[in-house]
Amino acid sequence: MVYWRIIRKSYRRNLQYRLSHLVNNLASSIFGLVFIAIWAGVLQGKQVHGPYDLQTMGQYIAVCQSVLWMTTFLSPGLTIPVGVRSGAVSLDLIKPVHYLWYMLCQEFGRILYNACYRSLPIGLLLGLAVGFHFPSSFYTCLLFVLSLLLGTFIGLLLFYLTGLASFWTTEIRWVHYILLSLVFGLGGQMIPLDLLPGVMGKIAPYLPFSCMIYYPVMTFLELAGPEALIVQGSWALVLTGIALAVTTLARRKVEIQGG
Amino acid sequence: MLALYRKLLVASIRAQMQYKLNFITSAATTGMIMVLDFLILSAILYRFHDVSGWNIYEVGLLYGISSVAVSVYRFFAPEINDFEKYVIHGELDQLLIRPVSPLLLLLTRNLDLSRIGGMVQGISVLILSIAGLYAQGKEIGLLLLFTPVAIVSGGVIYFSIALTTAALGFWTHQVKDLQTFTIYAPANASNYPISLYPGWLKWMFYTVLPIAFMNYVPMLTLLGKAESWYLPLLTPVVAALALVLSLRFWAYGIRHYHSTGS
Repeated sequence: MVYWRIIRKSYRRNLQYRLSHLVNNLASSIFGLVFIAIWAGVLQGKQVHGPYDLQTMGQYIAVCQSVLWMTTFLSPGLTIPVGVRSGAVSLDLIKPVHYLWYMLCQEFGRILYNACYRSLPIGLLLGLAVGFHFPSSFYTCLLFVLSLLLGTFIGLLLFYLTGLASFWTTEIRWVHYILLSLVFGLGGQMIPLDLLPGVMGKIAPYLPFSCMIYYPVMTFLELAGPEALIVQGSWALVLTGIALAVTTLARRKVEIQGG
Repeated sequence: MLALYRKLLVASIRAQMQYKLNFITSAATTGMIMVLDFLILSAILYRFHDVSGWNIYEVGLLYGISSVAVSVYRFFAPEINDFEKYVIHGELDQLLIRPVSPLLLLLTRNLDLSRIGGMVQGISVLILSIAGLYAQGKEIGLLLLFTPVAIVSGGVIYFSIALTTAALGFWTHQVKDLQTFTIYAPANASNYPISLYPGWLKWMFYTVLPIAFMNYVPMLTLLGKAESWYLPLLTPVVAALALVLSLRFWAYGIRHYHSTGS
């Protein structure tokens, strides 16, 4: 199938960088270690309500750092702005595959690569620091895989939409930064969202950003059940609709630059 | 020398001001990311009160100094931060044949004006934190005097680390992955008390990547967490030492530069 070939090609292209990425994983793990250390300092000598003891919190951060490489650290705007600026987008738009799925597949190949050469090594390294947690049943594994795939899909759609902004503005750096700060702030990368105080803690779990980090991690740690999939599934549908609609608009708007 | 520095800088600023809207949005978004980051930290400390004995205002001091210092470095030396392209594309050749030191040329090529956003945000956190400490009845006179010293020293320490990392590029030809290790991870770590970290990390932050001396070490004295009175004096001394060593290493490295010839 054509989409599968696109994914495989993109995966192979990324393989070229694996050595330097494997070294980079050590550095990335330091970010995880810092967050784990902060939580150790925060929880030191305190009675915690709910499921978050020191080890669970450490594992939460560890799984987060690993999941980030699949759902959040995607190419800015899925590299759409590059094509818009160089004019290459005109060729992508006349291909006999839908532009949305074409761009998503390109990036998904990279995500599969990240899963093998980023998420897995980082998860193992941080697991050494906080102790490994494995889902106890096949059912949890299944839920986790579904949740992770939905999270990745939602991440892809959000990045795709920021990329489409370049049809109107050319430069999307700032849209990209806003998206990233929302995901990092409200996605649960540093703190389980149910621990956020006040209104923030009430709203954040229902925003699409939580689908990219919070729910996959909670599912893995068996702290969230199948209800996570409902939130994720709904957002996946809504965002797919938006992405398709905006793609249609963008097609009409397209201006070819360069030559 | 200074006149030349100014002239080249003014030219660079003029060039960037051609894109005013871009400047404003990127400065605002850079600031916003850091604000959200700090909000989350406040949320954690709001619920749990302290991190190994440091309350939100005390952590805010560390956080503010570190984020202003790193913004100062990124503001003045974006080309050092992006040095990899000079080695990979052989662009350094053009700088080497000019009658001015390549380092001066690199520093005057560009100012990253968007970092002003980060400075404003960091200074706001500092003001809030110092005001909070004052409301708790802490003595803040010395803190106010020392904070500018810490910021300048911190900027110098980051610059020295970055220059050393860039100079390593003369041999490795790759700097980006190294930078995560030497700049970004330490910049993140220095937002919080260094005492939190495991031994080997702590050891690094006191020696090869001496960011501990920028905010954590002097604050031990100024916030009354350690008896020794001399700790704040170490801050400018370590910064100066780091700068001298990194300049020497750069000078040594640049003699090993081989152009890629493409």
